[in-house]
Amino acid sequence: MSTSASPAEPSASPPEPSTSGNSSQKEGAGEEARDDRNFECNICLDTAKNAVVSMCGHLFCWPCLHQWLETASARQVCPVCKAAISREKVVPLYGRGSSDQQDPRENSAPRPSGQRTEPDGSLFNGFGLGDNSFHLSFGIGAFPFGFFTSTFNLGETRPSPAAMGTPQHLEEQFLSKIFLWLAIIFIAWLLLA
Amino acid sequence: MAGLSPSERRLQKELMSLMKEPPPGVVVDVDLAEQNILQWIIQMEGVSGTLYEGEQFQLQFKFSRKYPFDSPEVTFIGANIPVHPHVYSNGHICLSILTDDWSPALSVQSVCLSIVSMLSSCKEKKRPPDNAFYVKTCNKNPKKTKWWYHDDSV
Repeated sequence: MSTSASPAEPSASPPEPSTSGNSSQKEGAGEEARDDRNFECNICLDTAKNAVVSMCGHLFCWPCLHQWLETASARQVCPVCKAAISREKVVPLYGRGSSDQQDPRENSAPRPSGQRTEPDGSLFNGFGLGDNSFHLSFGIGAFPFGFFTSTFNLGETRPSPAAMGTPQHLEEQFLSKIFLWLAIIFIAWLLLA
Repeated sequence: MAGLSPSERRLQKELMSLMKEPPPGVVVDVDLAEQNILQWIIQMEGVSGTLYEGEQFQLQFKFSRKYPFDSPEVTFIGANIPVHPHVYSNGHICLSILTDDWSPALSVQSVCLSIVSMLSSCKEKKRPPDNAFYVKTCNKNPKKTKWWYHDDSV
Protein backbone atom coordinates (compact mmCIF):
# COMPACT_ATOMS: atom_id res chain seq x y z
CA MET A 1 0.00 0.00 0.00
CA SER A 2 2.80 2.32 0.87
CA THR A 3 5.26 1.63 -1.92
CA SER A 4 3.15 0.75 -4.91
CA ALA A 5 2.40 3.61 -7.23
CA SER A 6 -0.47 2.04 -9.06
CA PRO A 7 -2.77 4.58 -10.60
CA ALA A 8 -5.77 2.65 -9.43
CA GLU A 9 -4.74 2.93 -5.80
CA PRO A 10 -7.14 5.28 -4.07
CA SER A 11 -4.77 7.99 -2.86
CA ALA A 12 -5.22 11.26 -1.07
CA SER A 13 -6.04 13.06 -4.26
CA PRO A 14 -9.07 11.59 -5.99
CA PRO A 15 -7.99 9.66 -9.09
CA GLU A 16 -9.14 10.80 -12.45
CA PRO A 17 -12.23 8.91 -13.46
CA SER A 18 -10.76 7.82 -16.80
CA THR A 19 -7.76 6.05 -15.24
CA SER A 20 -9.70 4.12 -12.66
CA GLY A 21 -12.27 3.15 -15.23
CA ASN A 22 -9.62 1.73 -17.53
CA SER A 23 -7.94 -0.35 -14.90
CA SER A 24 -11.14 -1.87 -13.62
CA GLN A 25 -12.09 -2.75 -17.18
CA LYS A 26 -8.80 -4.58 -17.65
CA GLU A 27 -9.31 -6.50 -14.46
CA GLY A 28 -12.78 -7.39 -15.60
CA ALA A 29 -11.46 -8.80 -18.87
CA GLY A 30 -8.95 -11.00 -17.06
CA GLU A 31 -11.60 -12.31 -14.76
CA GLU A 32 -13.87 -13.00 -17.66
CA ALA A 33 -11.22 -15.11 -19.36
CA ARG A 34 -10.76 -17.07 -16.16
CA ASP A 35 -14.51 -17.44 -15.78
CA ASP A 36 -14.70 -18.76 -19.31
CA ARG A 37 -12.28 -21.52 -18.44
CA ASN A 38 -14.65 -22.65 -15.73
CA PHE A 39 -17.23 -23.34 -18.40
CA GLU A 40 -15.02 -25.25 -20.78
CA CYS A 41 -16.17 -28.62 -21.95
CA ASN A 42 -13.93 -31.30 -20.46
CA ILE A 43 -13.61 -32.96 -23.85
CA CYS A 44 -13.16 -30.32 -26.55
CA LEU A 45 -11.75 -27.69 -24.15
CA ASP A 46 -13.95 -25.03 -25.75
CA THR A 47 -16.68 -23.18 -23.92
CA ALA A 48 -19.38 -25.79 -23.61
CA LYS A 49 -22.10 -25.61 -26.25
CA ASN A 50 -25.40 -27.35 -25.66
CA ALA A 51 -24.01 -27.88 -22.22
CA VAL A 52 -24.88 -30.82 -20.07
CA VAL A 53 -23.65 -31.63 -16.61
CA SER A 54 -23.23 -35.11 -15.20
CA MET A 55 -24.49 -36.21 -11.80
CA CYS A 56 -20.90 -36.00 -10.61
CA GLY A 57 -20.89 -32.35 -11.62
CA HIS A 58 -18.71 -32.37 -14.72
CA LEU A 59 -19.50 -30.13 -17.65
CA PHE A 60 -19.51 -31.20 -21.29
CA CYS A 61 -20.89 -30.19 -24.64
CA TRP A 62 -23.65 -32.64 -25.33
CA PRO A 63 -22.24 -33.57 -28.76
CA CYS A 64 -18.85 -34.31 -27.15
CA LEU A 65 -20.27 -36.41 -24.34
CA HIS A 66 -22.59 -38.21 -26.71
CA GLN A 67 -19.68 -39.15 -28.92
CA TRP A 68 -17.78 -40.49 -25.91
CA LEU A 69 -20.77 -42.53 -24.76
CA GLU A 70 -20.98 -43.99 -28.25
CA THR A 71 -17.24 -44.72 -28.35
CA ALA A 72 -17.14 -46.37 -24.97
CA SER A 73 -20.58 -47.90 -25.04
CA ALA A 74 -19.43 -50.91 -23.05
CA ARG A 75 -18.08 -48.88 -20.17
CA GLN A 76 -20.04 -45.70 -19.68
CA VAL A 77 -18.07 -43.64 -17.20
CA CYS A 78 -17.52 -39.95 -16.67
CA PRO A 79 -14.37 -38.93 -18.57
CA VAL A 80 -13.21 -36.85 -15.63
CA CYS A 81 -13.91 -38.92 -12.55
CA LYS A 82 -14.98 -42.33 -13.91
CA ALA A 83 -18.28 -42.26 -12.07
CA ALA A 84 -21.07 -44.15 -13.78
CA ILE A 85 -22.79 -41.97 -16.32
CA SER A 86 -25.61 -42.40 -18.80
CA ARG A 87 -27.73 -40.45 -21.21
CA GLU A 88 -30.60 -40.40 -18.75
CA LYS A 89 -28.44 -39.17 -15.91
CA VAL A 90 -27.14 -35.92 -17.37
CA VAL A 91 -28.77 -32.58 -16.85
CA PRO A 92 -28.86 -29.97 -19.59
CA LEU A 93 -27.89 -26.44 -18.64
CA TYR A 94 -30.13 -23.72 -19.98
CA GLY A 95 -28.54 -20.31 -19.75
CA ARG A 96 -30.56 -17.20 -20.28
CA GLY A 97 -31.33 -16.63 -23.92
CA SER A 98 -29.96 -19.98 -25.02
CA SER A 99 -32.92 -22.24 -24.42
CA ASP A 100 -34.63 -22.14 -27.75
CA GLN A 101 -31.89 -21.31 -30.20
CA GLN A 102 -30.79 -24.86 -30.54
CA ASP A 103 -28.98 -25.30 -33.80
CA PRO A 104 -29.63 -28.66 -35.42
CA ARG A 105 -26.38 -30.35 -34.48
CA GLU A 106 -24.47 -32.44 -37.05
CA ASN A 107 -25.84 -35.86 -36.58
CA SER A 108 -25.60 -36.26 -32.87
CA ALA A 109 -28.61 -37.21 -30.88
CA PRO A 110 -30.77 -34.48 -29.39
CA ARG A 111 -29.70 -33.31 -26.00
CA PRO A 112 -31.60 -35.00 -23.19
CA SER A 113 -34.22 -32.73 -21.78
CA GLY A 114 -34.39 -31.52 -18.24
CA GLN A 115 -36.45 -33.43 -15.74
CA ARG A 116 -38.88 -31.36 -13.77
CA THR A 117 -40.68 -32.57 -10.72
CA GLU A 118 -43.33 -30.49 -9.08
CA PRO A 119 -42.40 -29.33 -5.62
CA ASP A 120 -43.84 -31.85 -3.26
CA GLY A 121 -45.72 -30.97 -0.07
CA SER A 122 -45.30 -34.28 1.62
CA LEU A 123 -42.01 -34.81 3.37
CA PHE A 124 -42.44 -38.52 3.50
CA ASN A 125 -41.32 -40.04 0.28
CA GLY A 126 -42.01 -43.70 0.63
CA PHE A 127 -40.02 -46.72 1.56
CA GLY A 128 -38.77 -47.21 -1.94
CA LEU A 129 -41.82 -49.21 -2.92
CA GLY A 130 -43.20 -46.78 -5.41
CA ASP A 131 -40.10 -46.44 -7.54
CA ASN A 132 -39.64 -49.96 -8.78
CA SER A 133 -36.98 -50.68 -6.25
CA PHE A 134 -38.84 -53.61 -4.76
CA HIS A 135 -38.52 -56.82 -6.68
CA LEU A 136 -39.68 -60.29 -5.92
CA SER A 137 -38.90 -63.17 -8.15
CA PHE A 138 -39.56 -66.86 -7.99
CA GLY A 139 -38.06 -69.33 -10.36
CA ILE A 140 -38.61 -72.93 -11.33
CA GLY A 141 -36.01 -74.45 -13.58
CA ALA A 142 -37.16 -76.02 -16.83
CA PHE A 143 -40.63 -76.51 -15.41
CA PRO A 144 -42.45 -79.04 -17.57
CA PHE A 145 -39.50 -81.29 -18.16
CA GLY A 146 -38.76 -82.04 -14.56
CA PHE A 147 -42.41 -82.82 -14.10
CA PHE A 148 -42.52 -85.23 -17.02
CA THR A 149 -39.35 -87.04 -16.20
CA SER A 150 -40.21 -87.57 -12.55
CA THR A 151 -43.88 -88.41 -12.90
CA PHE A 152 -44.33 -90.31 -16.13
CA ASN A 153 -41.56 -92.81 -16.36
CA LEU A 154 -41.75 -93.30 -20.06
CA GLY A 155 -39.80 -96.05 -21.74
CA GLU A 156 -38.86 -97.47 -18.37
CA THR A 157 -36.65 -100.53 -18.44
CA ARG A 158 -35.72 -100.72 -14.81
CA PRO A 159 -36.34 -104.00 -12.94
CA SER A 160 -39.53 -104.25 -10.92
CA PRO A 161 -39.27 -103.78 -7.13
CA ALA A 162 -38.20 -106.69 -5.01
CA ALA A 163 -40.83 -108.87 -3.40
CA MET A 164 -42.25 -107.96 0.02
CA GLY A 165 -40.37 -109.26 3.07
CA THR A 166 -37.14 -110.11 1.28
CA PRO A 167 -33.99 -108.52 2.72
CA GLN A 168 -33.60 -106.63 -0.54
CA HIS A 169 -37.03 -105.09 -0.05
CA LEU A 170 -36.17 -104.00 3.50
CA GLU A 171 -32.93 -102.51 2.29
CA GLU A 172 -34.73 -100.58 -0.40
CA GLN A 173 -37.29 -99.30 2.09
CA PHE A 174 -34.49 -98.17 4.37
CA LEU A 175 -32.67 -96.38 1.54
CA SER A 176 -35.87 -94.77 0.40
CA LYS A 177 -36.50 -93.44 3.91
CA ILE A 178 -32.99 -92.04 4.13
CA PHE A 179 -33.47 -90.23 0.85
CA LEU A 180 -36.85 -88.94 1.93
CA TRP A 181 -35.35 -87.45 5.09
CA LEU A 182 -32.46 -86.06 3.13
CA ALA A 183 -34.90 -84.34 0.81
CA ILE A 184 -36.90 -82.95 3.73
CA ILE A 185 -33.76 -81.64 5.43
CA PHE A 186 -32.58 -80.13 2.17
CA ILE A 187 -35.88 -78.35 1.56
CA ALA A 188 -35.98 -77.11 5.14
CA TRP A 189 -32.47 -75.79 4.73
CA LEU A 190 -33.46 -74.07 1.51
CA LEU A 191 -36.38 -72.40 3.21
CA LEU A 192 -34.46 -71.34 6.31
CA ALA A 193 -31.22 -70.21 4.69
CA MET B 1 -8.91 -21.56 -35.68
CA ALA B 2 -11.77 -21.86 -38.10
CA GLY B 3 -11.71 -24.72 -40.55
CA LEU B 4 -9.93 -27.09 -38.23
CA SER B 5 -11.34 -30.47 -37.40
CA PRO B 6 -12.36 -30.99 -33.75
CA SER B 7 -9.27 -33.06 -33.05
CA GLU B 8 -6.94 -30.46 -34.56
CA ARG B 9 -8.70 -27.72 -32.70
CA ARG B 10 -8.28 -29.46 -29.40
CA LEU B 11 -4.63 -30.30 -30.14
CA GLN B 12 -3.95 -26.64 -30.93
CA LYS B 13 -5.42 -25.68 -27.59
CA GLU B 14 -3.37 -28.29 -25.80
CA LEU B 15 -0.22 -27.15 -27.56
CA MET B 16 -0.83 -23.58 -26.48
CA SER B 17 -1.39 -24.52 -22.85
CA LEU B 18 1.60 -26.89 -22.84
CA MET B 19 3.77 -24.06 -24.16
CA LYS B 20 2.43 -21.64 -21.58
CA GLU B 21 2.33 -23.88 -18.52
CA PRO B 22 4.40 -27.00 -19.09
CA PRO B 23 4.72 -29.51 -16.25
CA PRO B 24 8.21 -29.35 -14.71
CA GLY B 25 10.86 -31.02 -16.86
CA VAL B 26 8.61 -31.31 -19.91
CA VAL B 27 9.26 -29.39 -23.13
CA VAL B 28 7.30 -29.81 -26.33
CA ASP B 29 8.92 -29.31 -29.72
CA VAL B 30 6.54 -26.61 -30.89
CA ASP B 31 7.85 -26.22 -34.44
CA LEU B 32 7.51 -29.90 -35.15
CA ALA B 33 4.04 -30.03 -33.65
CA GLU B 34 2.94 -27.03 -35.68
CA GLN B 35 4.17 -28.66 -38.88
CA ASN B 36 2.14 -31.76 -38.16
CA ILE B 37 -0.33 -31.34 -35.35
CA LEU B 38 -0.95 -35.09 -35.27
CA GLN B 39 2.60 -35.98 -34.25
CA TRP B 40 4.46 -34.41 -31.36
CA ILE B 41 7.90 -34.90 -29.85
CA ILE B 42 8.30 -34.10 -26.18
CA GLN B 43 11.53 -33.80 -24.24
CA MET B 44 11.34 -35.14 -20.74
CA GLU B 45 13.83 -34.72 -17.95
CA GLY B 46 14.41 -37.24 -15.18
CA VAL B 47 13.25 -35.67 -11.94
CA SER B 48 16.04 -34.85 -9.51
CA GLY B 49 16.07 -37.04 -6.46
CA THR B 50 14.87 -40.07 -8.44
CA LEU B 51 16.70 -42.89 -10.21
CA TYR B 52 16.43 -40.98 -13.49
CA GLU B 53 17.97 -37.75 -12.27
CA GLY B 54 19.90 -35.96 -15.00
CA GLU B 55 18.65 -38.24 -17.81
CA GLN B 56 16.92 -36.92 -20.92
CA PHE B 57 14.15 -38.83 -22.66
CA GLN B 58 12.15 -38.27 -25.81
CA LEU B 59 8.50 -39.13 -26.04
CA GLN B 60 6.60 -39.41 -29.27
CA PHE B 61 2.87 -38.78 -29.36
CA LYS B 62 0.85 -39.82 -32.40
CA PHE B 63 -2.77 -38.77 -32.54
CA SER B 64 -5.50 -40.18 -34.69
CA ARG B 65 -8.32 -38.18 -36.23
CA LYS B 66 -10.54 -39.54 -33.50
CA TYR B 67 -8.55 -37.88 -30.73
CA PRO B 68 -9.55 -37.24 -27.92
CA PHE B 69 -12.01 -40.11 -28.11
CA ASP B 70 -9.17 -42.37 -29.18
CA SER B 71 -6.03 -42.46 -27.04
CA PRO B 72 -2.75 -41.18 -28.45
CA GLU B 73 0.01 -43.61 -29.33
CA VAL B 74 2.82 -42.81 -26.91
CA THR B 75 6.30 -44.30 -27.08
CA PHE B 76 9.78 -43.42 -25.94
CA ILE B 77 12.08 -42.80 -28.89
CA GLY B 78 15.70 -41.81 -29.40
CA ALA B 79 18.93 -43.03 -27.91
CA ASN B 80 17.90 -43.11 -24.27
CA ILE B 81 14.94 -45.34 -23.46
CA PRO B 82 14.41 -45.31 -19.69
CA VAL B 83 15.21 -48.60 -18.00
CA HIS B 84 11.99 -49.22 -16.09
CA PRO B 85 9.88 -52.31 -15.30
CA HIS B 86 7.05 -50.92 -17.44
CA VAL B 87 9.06 -49.62 -20.37
CA TYR B 88 10.21 -52.04 -23.04
CA SER B 89 13.54 -51.50 -24.76
CA ASN B 90 11.73 -50.59 -28.00
CA GLY B 91 10.10 -47.66 -26.21
CA HIS B 92 6.67 -49.19 -25.66
CA ILE B 93 5.09 -48.24 -22.33
CA CYS B 94 2.79 -50.44 -20.30
CA LEU B 95 0.47 -47.83 -18.84
CA SER B 96 -3.26 -48.37 -18.53
CA ILE B 97 -4.35 -44.82 -19.34
CA LEU B 98 -2.80 -45.22 -22.79
CA THR B 99 -5.31 -47.90 -23.76
CA ASP B 100 -8.03 -49.32 -21.52
CA ASP B 101 -8.32 -46.49 -19.05
CA TRP B 102 -8.04 -43.67 -21.56
CA SER B 103 -10.57 -40.90 -21.16
CA PRO B 104 -11.13 -37.88 -23.40
CA ALA B 105 -10.68 -35.66 -20.37
CA LEU B 106 -7.04 -36.72 -20.23
CA SER B 107 -4.55 -34.66 -22.18
CA VAL B 108 -0.96 -34.66 -23.39
CA GLN B 109 -0.12 -32.85 -20.20
CA SER B 110 -1.77 -35.41 -17.95
CA VAL B 111 -0.16 -38.28 -19.86
CA CYS B 112 3.25 -36.62 -19.47
CA LEU B 113 2.58 -36.17 -15.78
CA SER B 114 1.62 -39.84 -15.42
CA ILE B 115 4.77 -40.94 -17.17
CA VAL B 116 6.94 -38.63 -15.07
CA SER B 117 5.36 -40.01 -11.91
CA MET B 118 5.67 -43.59 -13.18
CA LEU B 119 9.40 -43.05 -13.67
CA SER B 120 9.83 -41.15 -10.43
CA SER B 121 8.26 -43.82 -8.26
CA CYS B 122 10.57 -46.51 -9.64
CA LYS B 123 12.59 -48.37 -7.01
CA GLU B 124 14.86 -50.43 -9.22
CA LYS B 125 16.01 -49.83 -12.77
CA LYS B 126 15.28 -52.96 -14.74
CA ARG B 127 13.47 -53.98 -17.91
CA PRO B 128 10.17 -55.83 -17.86
CA PRO B 129 10.70 -59.57 -17.33
CA ASP B 130 9.39 -60.46 -20.81
CA ASN B 131 11.29 -57.72 -22.59
CA ALA B 132 13.28 -59.86 -25.04
CA PHE B 133 10.25 -61.87 -26.14
CA TYR B 134 7.92 -58.88 -26.38
CA VAL B 135 10.32 -56.73 -28.37
CA LYS B 136 10.80 -59.57 -30.88
CA THR B 137 7.12 -60.35 -31.33
CA CYS B 138 5.19 -57.13 -30.78
CA ASN B 139 3.41 -54.94 -33.28
CA LYS B 140 4.98 -51.60 -34.10
CA ASN B 141 1.97 -49.87 -32.63
CA PRO B 142 1.82 -50.38 -28.84
CA LYS B 143 -1.94 -49.86 -28.93
CA LYS B 144 -2.23 -53.19 -30.74
CA THR B 145 -0.74 -54.95 -27.73
CA LYS B 146 -3.19 -56.51 -25.32
CA TRP B 147 -1.61 -55.22 -22.15
CA TRP B 148 -2.04 -56.83 -18.79
CA TYR B 149 -2.13 -54.20 -16.10
CA HIS B 150 -1.27 -55.96 -12.90
CA ASP B 151 1.02 -53.68 -10.96
CA ASP B 152 -0.82 -50.83 -9.33
CA SER B 153 2.06 -49.77 -7.16
CA VAL B 154 4.17 -47.99 -9.76
